[in-house]
Amino acid sequence: MKMDLEQLRKTAAEVVARDDVKYLVGWKQGTYGYRVAPGFVEDAAGAAELIFSPLCTANLATYLTLVEELPIPRGQEPDDRKVAVMVKGCDSRAVTQLIVEKGIKKDEVVVIGCPCPGVVDPNLLAEKYPETEDQVEMKWNGEGFLLLRGGEETKIARDEVLAEKCRLCRYPNPVYSDIMLGDPVEPWETDEDKGVEEVEGKDVEERAEYWAEQFDKCVRCYSCRNVCPLCYCQDCVLDRLNPTWVNRAVNFSENTAFNIARAFHLGGRCIECGECERVCPANIPLGKINRKLAREVRDKYGFEPGVDPDAEPFQASFKPDDPEEFIL
Amino acid sequence: MSAMLLNKEKWPEFVGKLTGKKVWAPQADSEGMRFALLAEGEAPVPDYNNTRVPPKGVLFPQTETMLKFQVKATEVDEPELDQETVVLGLRPCDARAMAIVEKLFKWDIDDPYFIKRRDMVTLVGLACNDPGLNCFCPSVGGSPASTEGLDLLMVDLGENYLLEAVTGKGEALLKEMGDLLSEAGADEAKEKEKLVKEAEGKIKRTVDTEGVPEGLPGLWEDPLWGKVSASCLGCGTCTYLCPTCHCFDIQDEVEGFDARRCRTWDSCMFGEYTLHTSGHNPRPTRKERTRNRINHKYSYYVDKFDVIACVGCGRCSNLCPVNIDIIDTIRQVKEAL
Amino acid sequence: MSAEFNPNIVAFLCNWCSYAGADLAGTSRVNYPSNIQIIRVMCSGRVNPLYVMNALQQGADGVLVSGCHPGDCHYMEGNFFARRRLGMLKDLMEFVGVDPKRFHMSWVSASEGHKWKEVVEKTVEDAKEAGPFEGFRRRQIDW
Repeated sequence: MKMDLEQLRKTAAEVVARDDVKYLVGWKQGTYGYRVAPGFVEDAAGAAELIFSPLCTANLATYLTLVEELPIPRGQEPDDRKVAVMVKGCDSRAVTQLIVEKGIKKDEVVVIGCPCPGVVDPNLLAEKYPETEDQVEMKWNGEGFLLLRGGEETKIARDEVLAEKCRLCRYPNPVYSDIMLGDPVEPWETDEDKGVEEVEGKDVEERAEYWAEQFDKCVRCYSCRNVCPLCYCQDCVLDRLNPTWVNRAVNFSENTAFNIARAFHLGGRCIECGECERVCPANIPLGKINRKLAREVRDKYGFEPGVDPDAEPFQASFKPDDPEEFIL
Repeated sequence: MSAMLLNKEKWPEFVGKLTGKKVWAPQADSEGMRFALLAEGEAPVPDYNNTRVPPKGVLFPQTETMLKFQVKATEVDEPELDQETVVLGLRPCDARAMAIVEKLFKWDIDDPYFIKRRDMVTLVGLACNDPGLNCFCPSVGGSPASTEGLDLLMVDLGENYLLEAVTGKGEALLKEMGDLLSEAGADEAKEKEKLVKEAEGKIKRTVDTEGVPEGLPGLWEDPLWGKVSASCLGCGTCTYLCPTCHCFDIQDEVEGFDARRCRTWDSCMFGEYTLHTSGHNPRPTRKERTRNRINHKYSYYVDKFDVIACVGCGRCSNLCPVNIDIIDTIRQVKEAL
Repeated sequence: MSAEFNPNIVAFLCNWCSYAGADLAGTSRVNYPSNIQIIRVMCSGRVNPLYVMNALQQGADGVLVSGCHPGDCHYMEGNFFARRRLGMLKDLMEFVGVDPKRFHMSWVSASEGHKWKEVVEKTVEDAKEAGPFEGFRRRQIDW
């Protein structure tokens, strides 16, 4: 365990006590089993409930842009205080990308960075170690994880339950933060991206078939869009009725259109936090599409989103010598 | 008709005898189970906990053509809904949800699409021997072997299925099966009782709903809603995967000169759900939307139809990305009363 | 099949170069396949990737986007943006199983009537090779 929970809670309490901070978004114990819920902390009592464990998969940067503000009644002043947010390495890239896109301003947020040795995939974990109604505690333990449940300790090897995004993670330490907690972790050797390569290895027709099967399952709940820290348009193109880009009907054609539109809008912006894939109730491997695009952007254009807060947004900039071998 | 027994080895024959009918059954897809139409000759054994997406789509499809027409023409085509359908192996909670939703679709104006489908369908349920982690049906008036809404109930007795007809449709289906079945005796009935009791004992998460429907209106301005909804993302997972959620939207789709009017599921958790043309939104934030979702299930529906519109299948708790857990929410409501 | 199959190609042409180039091809009596349905846009940078997707959904077998040569854009840099976005779109479409032969992009200036002919010939030929688009076309769905 590289980070001390006491230190985390103390820092959180200090941050929420500041006059210029509205509230803090952190992780807290969920209602049962392996669940971890986002916690909105306004006082020291709330700060004492915060945790940071291998179960903290959620990317809380989403909540920076998810706020729905009502019109301010006449005579009242807007609440301009900052929002504090706890981030892992991948989440901090979302914050950086939001700053790049001017979705948020640097002085609107307090970013508390938590170096992250990798989180678990809750589905994998539940498959191997069935979830019960008891709340559990989970810790990093050397190279693996330690699961504490009902007085019992279970050691779990890292490779067994590590989330896919973490296998491929190159930024375990926050790239942008105002306050850093604990010591940085040593980045690890990343695996080959087998998921993407497997699909790339198929021919076009097999790929069409593969994705047809996947997109057919989509129920269009839009949880992938809503959970994404970088999908924050007030008026989403998918909700538009005039013109209707994507019909409301749920069938293979519209589902594919929706998924292409969603993936494309994240081209050069996706920071690979894997939230879309985690929340998908139909288990569509959305991460593969996102990572494929991210890889193309990295290889062909030498651009990586969410790393440099002073960068230019990828789709709103260009280089005169961008590749154009595909142009007739 | 008394209860009948079906040997599990004869299951494919049982399914095979349903020719000429559309048969929906739980099938494994790339990542789990879902209800799908059975192809000829297939007979997967319903061995599963529950599907991710409920079978409500059999009666109330996610997208349904209401009528077809040609642009600039005056005639309309209505889809024909006259094929006999059988749903095999749905869980009692999902069947109960259909009975609950039926009340709404038969209230004030009869919904022709739903009712026609309901009349043509035979629901063959499968009692739960092993309820899931988030199952809480007994807390909202159900049971792992509830027959409400079902035409026929199957109970898995290990080697055999015990088949009990609930309605005339179920009896007719049993008659069709003829000598595939054998009479069940008192032992099997006892065995069933035992299994149901065991199943009920396996349900760990419960919630006391007494007084909740009456108390909810008084909690309109309670800070609890802000707390519950703080982490809500506003996605439609909870509503689309809910077997009793039944809101829909109607759209016209035009392709060249062909057009159709279709209705699709809609979710009260979406901002555009209540958005007025003027731009005003009576439920402007996720707080109001979450409050509405809980109130609709546990208060408005009770006022109107005298039944809680939640069957305790646990899907919304299972799949909510941010752990908004309906069991916990109702517990919080209970505390705030 | 390729003998009878006449693909539907939707072409988004920029007002200042490619549209004028196609116009020149016409006034110069250059013969080229008539499978192209031209939609004039003010700049190739105005082509939203959703246009491409929507064209395919509504029955196109191929899509062509054409603009000014790099550096010649009437709006200075519109085609540079288009190049980035549509290049990425091409990768994405390919990944989700749309034949890359169905989507092309070209630079055709106002004086390149003959290049326009070549571009159209190549696009049509490729679309013929790829065959009728049956992927996520809307009409495939039985209402």
